[in-house]
Amino acid sequence: MEKILLSLSDAFAQAPYKVLKYKSFVLAGLIVMTTIMVYGITTRTTMDMTTDSFLDEADPAAIALDEFREQFGSDESIFLVYRAKDGNVFSRESMEAAQQLTDDLRNWQSLDRSQYPESVNGIVLDWDELNHIRRVQSIANLRYQESIGDSLLSNRLVPSSLPESNEELGLIRGNALSQEDYLLAFYSENTEYGAILIQTDFGTKPVEGFVSAVDAIDVSLDDSFGAFNDDETFNLEFNEDIEVQEIEFEAVDMLGYTSFQIMSRAIYEKYEAQFEFFPVGTPPLMEFMLEMLGEMMVLGIILVLIFTLLLWILFRSFSAVIWPLVTILLSIAWAWGIPAWTGVVLTTMISLTIMLIFAVGIADCVHVMSAYFSFRREGEEHHIALSHAYGKTGLAILVTTVTTMCGVMALATSDLAMIQVFGWTSAVGVFLAFFFTIVLLPILLDLWHPGNPDADASFADKLGKRWHSLKRNTKFCIAVVYFAAVFATLGLAVGSYIALVTLLTYVVVNWQKPILDAVPGITARYPYVIMAIFGSIFIACLYGMSKIRIDSNMAELTREGSAIQRAYAVVDENMAGSQSLEIVINTNTIDGMMNPRLLQAVDELQTRIEARYPNEISRTNSLANIVKETNKVMNDDDPAFDRIPDSELMVSQLLYLFNSSNPEDRRALVSDDYSKSHISISAYNAGSYQYQAFFTEMEEEIADTFSGLEAEFPELQVTVTGSMAMMMRMADDLARSQYASLLLALGIISVIMIVTLGSFQGGLLAMIPNMIPAVLSFGLMGLLGLPLDADTLLIAPIIIGIAVDDTIHFMTHYRIDLARTGSISKALISTIRDVGQAVMFTTMILALSFALLSFSGHLGMAKMGFFGAIAIFFALLCDLFLIPAMIITFKPTFGVKNVNKEIDFSKATTVHS
Amino acid sequence: MQGNILSKAVISLVAALLLIPLQSIAQDLSGREIMEKVEDNRRATSNSALSRMQLSTCKFGVREGKITCAERPRVKSLESVGKGYGPDLKDSRSIAILLDPPAERGIGMLSFIYDDGATDNETWLYLSALGRVKRIASGSSDDETEPGSLFGSEFTTEDQDTGKLDEYEINLLEETVESGREVWKIETIPNEKRARQSRYSRTVLYIDKERFVELRMEMYDQYGKEIKRMLGARVELMNGFWVARSTTIMNLVTNRLSNMAFLEMHTGIDVPDEFLTQRTLTDAAFRETELAKLRAQID
Repeated sequence: MEKILLSLSDAFAQAPYKVLKYKSFVLAGLIVMTTIMVYGITTRTTMDMTTDSFLDEADPAAIALDEFREQFGSDESIFLVYRAKDGNVFSRESMEAAQQLTDDLRNWQSLDRSQYPESVNGIVLDWDELNHIRRVQSIANLRYQESIGDSLLSNRLVPSSLPESNEELGLIRGNALSQEDYLLAFYSENTEYGAILIQTDFGTKPVEGFVSAVDAIDVSLDDSFGAFNDDETFNLEFNEDIEVQEIEFEAVDMLGYTSFQIMSRAIYEKYEAQFEFFPVGTPPLMEFMLEMLGEMMVLGIILVLIFTLLLWILFRSFSAVIWPLVTILLSIAWAWGIPAWTGVVLTTMISLTIMLIFAVGIADCVHVMSAYFSFRREGEEHHIALSHAYGKTGLAILVTTVTTMCGVMALATSDLAMIQVFGWTSAVGVFLAFFFTIVLLPILLDLWHPGNPDADASFADKLGKRWHSLKRNTKFCIAVVYFAAVFATLGLAVGSYIALVTLLTYVVVNWQKPILDAVPGITARYPYVIMAIFGSIFIACLYGMSKIRIDSNMAELTREGSAIQRAYAVVDENMAGSQSLEIVINTNTIDGMMNPRLLQAVDELQTRIEARYPNEISRTNSLANIVKETNKVMNDDDPAFDRIPDSELMVSQLLYLFNSSNPEDRRALVSDDYSKSHISISAYNAGSYQYQAFFTEMEEEIADTFSGLEAEFPELQVTVTGSMAMMMRMADDLARSQYASLLLALGIISVIMIVTLGSFQGGLLAMIPNMIPAVLSFGLMGLLGLPLDADTLLIAPIIIGIAVDDTIHFMTHYRIDLARTGSISKALISTIRDVGQAVMFTTMILALSFALLSFSGHLGMAKMGFFGAIAIFFALLCDLFLIPAMIITFKPTFGVKNVNKEIDFSKATTVHS
Repeated sequence: MQGNILSKAVISLVAALLLIPLQSIAQDLSGREIMEKVEDNRRATSNSALSRMQLSTCKFGVREGKITCAERPRVKSLESVGKGYGPDLKDSRSIAILLDPPAERGIGMLSFIYDDGATDNETWLYLSALGRVKRIASGSSDDETEPGSLFGSEFTTEDQDTGKLDEYEINLLEETVESGREVWKIETIPNEKRARQSRYSRTVLYIDKERFVELRMEMYDQYGKEIKRMLGARVELMNGFWVARSTTIMNLVTNRLSNMAFLEMHTGIDVPDEFLTQRTLTDAAFRETELAKLRAQID
């Protein structure tokens, strides 16, 4: 093993020479290939931005959701809750405004478009988006049935022309409050809040270019359509083997929902004088998500700026800024271009791949350049310095590449195609970052590199010298003015962040050498204290990890007080809740839903779940409610008839009445052949954890309620589904599988460490500092009671991967130095000195970059940014203090023979110098 | 609301599918004039009429170029009697009784339709299982009612609606051939007021130039996508009127079709006023006796 490692190191040392020998050839090849890749990205990228890409198509609930949509139409809607500013949605002004707004939404074609802005926040309003509106319901067009004498009336809740007297207006309010089916669905109990339900056709629109089978050439009705029998009878032929054409529905992406939401808002915003609006539902949520993506782009730009500035300050040369950027950009171009050319469908997760390549690329380049620059500063000639730098860092880069690749490939075991693609593209990206660091970076550094550090000082060097020549008081004054300006212009939060960046940079630039020199002494003096401190943190965090709650919750996705969070809170507090679930009932029997016993079971199920979950569920609605209500109305509103009749004939006729008068409502509730129906459940917002439990319990209730009907309906299927419920459920599954992959990745990394370090003891030893950053971030979240959601977990493997990279660099370097020097002290000293600087630099750049994500409005991202930054910083502390302390205490030899185990840093330093 | 829809249903069932007597081939008619001729003749068919119809509904598929039911069709049969009243017989009274399926047998609907917009239409519904008549009235006359389904089929009142030509822009598109017959291809586009109540943004009709029968109708949604198609078949001369005895409407979104077949259709029947009252709904014996008398007129 030892020999293999040393020869690998030598091979890496030779790599720059080999590459430079074919410089023009390599460069020309890379330029051509990259051009092809960029062309592929711009012309051939297939991006799936639909929310369905998150769903596992094989899940029974997902199948049920598809069937549900096909049968009953889209369940995607905007639930537009409004607060009447005069405190009463049934005041004259409020009712008039609600009537007008409802009319605007229903008959938008007649609106005067010159009264509306052309664009909102730079997005041009597209009026055609309003074609997605299928139905608008509000107090303005709700009806209730009333039986007076021999007349059955279907009256408007609010008459089109409002009555003159206030007394009569009061009656409208009183009547509305007595309509149980509408209370909480369309107005709150205190009538301060109202709601407009805008139903859409999202997810139920046939795909573009869909051609109906009847449009084929020469298609005609079969002969039975024109064949009357002699006895004046008529029978259509039928053939149950004939396949009914399946319609493929257009998938909806974030952009689609957002454009619709923006356009709808332009319409309702005109009523802001009267109402305050709280929209919930998929369209507003997707708009928020898209805003978050936009915000990520801004953060991304700032990130690149900070990264550029830090590289320049740390290395004091622009070549150190430009070349890593080029290397990383090339890696990204190839990692994106390859799937584009091979026709792989990408998702928004490509942004995470880019983030990963960026982080890994920086780590690779910084390690090489840190070594190269330090050899240059020691006076070595360019080519020799380059060769030495690769010899020192190449192997470690290879190992980190392999471990990170394994980490992300663990995701490829996921059931979800989008996660698999993410795993593979990321693995390819990580490899490419390594490949270009070895193949391209030497050529780039050969093209342009800093001259003799002493003779040819860079601008940054000059600036540094100038600063140091200033008097202490002047420095102090400048610092005070600088910090004051930062806080004044950027505010406390961002100001603190920039101040931290400045301070850390200052400390690292000016005192890195003294710090690194002091490290061996400190660790040698207090190894047990250091281990005890890290040990207690480790144990505390393990405890925290046991407390971690995996839960994705819409309301916890954003910061306190954000518009979307307020909307959810308002809807949950005042209305029937912001979420909906569907229980799909398929009897697989024609007219099955007309069976009184089945309807009674449906009614019982509704009663049971409403009773069992009074805090989670506000209301349920189904065909059973319709039958009961019609039965009562047809019997002079006698409450004794508020039940499902026992006679099938009666049920059938009550449904006949309902179907004749409200075919659209009927079709939304029960299939044409009365074999399928559904129970709609309005629920208050809850986390995915709760949903998951809810699904399981509900299935038990269903099995229990319908158990007596097996003989009559042997093929009865009852499934819980619904878009939002599915999303939550998938979020939970995703989070769990991510968590599992993460643990798997840690296991794989440990095995690789054991192999690389050539010793079980060494590998285990390396595992502890490797695990601490991961355990720390999750443990802290557990201790603070913060839930771990799907979004947070998506970035977790990236951050953990980066955090362990530095540890791997440290351990690999130490292992090689131990083999070369045969002395623990010497190996430790040289490792701290050589790797220490690079580890400090990468930590600075990456931790500060990730810390920037803490400012995201998306809490999942912000949490991971913050805890990720802490993990990366902590990994640095582990590398500098814990690893040396453990080496000093346990004196592992990693299979190297005849090692001098004496710990004497003074000698070691002397020998080296 | 039920009243409006169901009374419309009854009227239109009788009227919409009956077509005009053979006429001399009209020359140089505008789209509007063609449609007016179709409408005029439709109105004439609703007076003193007795019809027996069958409605079949099924999912459909296409095999070897033929549209065929992919499941056993659900069949309903009904009998309807109508008569014109008032000046120019523009008001009407009608009664429709469901004969089949057994679960809906005896459900009846009596409708008084007034031409004058100031008088509300009246409708009584009889549910045989309840044994009670209910007078159904819509809350107010200004309502935008949703198109009702005809006896749970794919036909809606809108597909069957007649009149109101002023509310449409009517364009004669071309003269062409459909089902081997020369037709006018006409498009109708609802005006803003009409569009509010309509499912369709445009309808294209293929009218037989000789017989004034609609051989085909295509209904388009707001995206300009065809969502429904109606095909007329078995055009026959019945009691002096050209009638598509079998009319099929296909829902291209749900792949379901409904066929309406006129098993019998008789006009010029003498319908006593007493038959068009609530008694016919509730009193089965009376109904059967009176119907027997009406049928006797045919024989």
